[in-house]
Amino acid sequence: MRDTRHGLLALALTVMLGVMTNGSHAAPGGLPATAAHTDSSPEWEQLRDKLFGTRPIDVSRSRVQLNVPLRAAYGASVPVKIVSQQPQLPELYVKRMVLLVDKNPSPVAAVIELTPLVGQADFETRLRVDEYSHIRVIAEMSNGELHMDSRYVKVSGGCSAPPNRDQLHNIGKTVLKLPAGLRPNAPTTADVQVVHPNDTGFELNQVTVMYIPPHFVRSIKVTYGGEKVFDAELDFSLSENPALRFNFVPRAEGQLRAEVEDSKDGHYVGWLDVRMH
Amino acid sequence: MRWRYLLLVLWASTIVLTGGAGATGLPPAYAPIVVQPTGLPARHEFDLSTALARAQREHKRLYVYLGASDCPYCRRYEAFLSANADALRPHFAPYLVVDLRSALSVTAEQLYIRIGNASRPYKAFQRSIGDERERLLVYPSVWLLDADAKPLMQMPAGAGTFETVPEQIEILRLEQ
Repeated sequence: MRDTRHGLLALALTVMLGVMTNGSHAAPGGLPATAAHTDSSPEWEQLRDKLFGTRPIDVSRSRVQLNVPLRAAYGASVPVKIVSQQPQLPELYVKRMVLLVDKNPSPVAAVIELTPLVGQADFETRLRVDEYSHIRVIAEMSNGELHMDSRYVKVSGGCSAPPNRDQLHNIGKTVLKLPAGLRPNAPTTADVQVVHPNDTGFELNQVTVMYIPPHFVRSIKVTYGGEKVFDAELDFSLSENPALRFNFVPRAEGQLRAEVEDSKDGHYVGWLDVRMH
Repeated sequence: MRWRYLLLVLWASTIVLTGGAGATGLPPAYAPIVVQPTGLPARHEFDLSTALARAQREHKRLYVYLGASDCPYCRRYEAFLSANADALRPHFAPYLVVDLRSALSVTAEQLYIRIGNASRPYKAFQRSIGDERERLLVYPSVWLLDADAKPLMQMPAGAGTFETVPEQIEILRLEQ
């Protein structure tokens, strides 16, 4: 009996000491509180092997840069900006971009196939980040070179944050906009946004106490005047209401068109008629 | 007798998991300016005017902490600050620490922030200072403000990403 009492008290004290000393060494979950933006991770080593084999990857930031805040307001909506360091020229352009979140349950957030019609291979989106993690972008050039930039971000709870259910009746509504107006024959910034919960499958319905099944946007394909601008294969790492900011070069009047597919075979279309004056 | 010991263990564990021995609010070591809500029960209004005036006089910034009396994550953060006061206090020197005392039951619609003549509910206040945390009120919340109530940095929801000494210092140094 005495041993039992001592055992219980020892257990309580161990828990107490563990919590009291936890504060100054590691972040919640035991992940490193500080890590260099350029550090590797076990997840990245595996992904690199699967996605790129032994191909060399330049990390000098000479072709592509990634801008992500060290801490975002919400883990469920981390703003990510990819900046390309050179224009999309037919002789050399970014052919493919892969956006990764090392520690997410499904780390490949997006694979974007681009054409020179993009003009300038800059992209912006918002990602769910589940825990402290590196975010990486790998740009594959048309000459086969690979370039990478990465950022370490500190968030928590992104994948379990309560989803917004205000717009369920509008699922699939796809809107295209030119936020800074039209720039004929020059890279023109455009936004495409899809109203969609982008459910991860990890969110609990607080009423039924059942997990909400995954239901997310799988792809967004954008054309201008019938020509491909980019195809993006996506994942539930994109925040709800997935959005992409991109560029395209309007050389004549035409229709900017986005075709969207989701994981329940939903097909949605949005378009914007672009006029030169 | 056995039940007494079990209760003792449960009591000790509860204290640990809630992060402190029943104390609510920021530790005295940080000399916080405690602001209690007014206007109850219709609203819970926290007035930052006095703290801002003092910040202007003393050429300091504000470290504004919104905690709730019944919030385990608040107790955890407060316990962290308490346990590491010696290491952290010098880094708080450029700041006046302000402790807004709320409760989990106080919603975004009920929580008001007053600065001078302007009293705004949580969402409108966040919009007015360009803070992205408008969508969801999370306890605890921290704002870093200059003496004119302008945010010095976009802060994350909650305090979970700065509960280590290096990370708390990172925040105080405004490292993005």
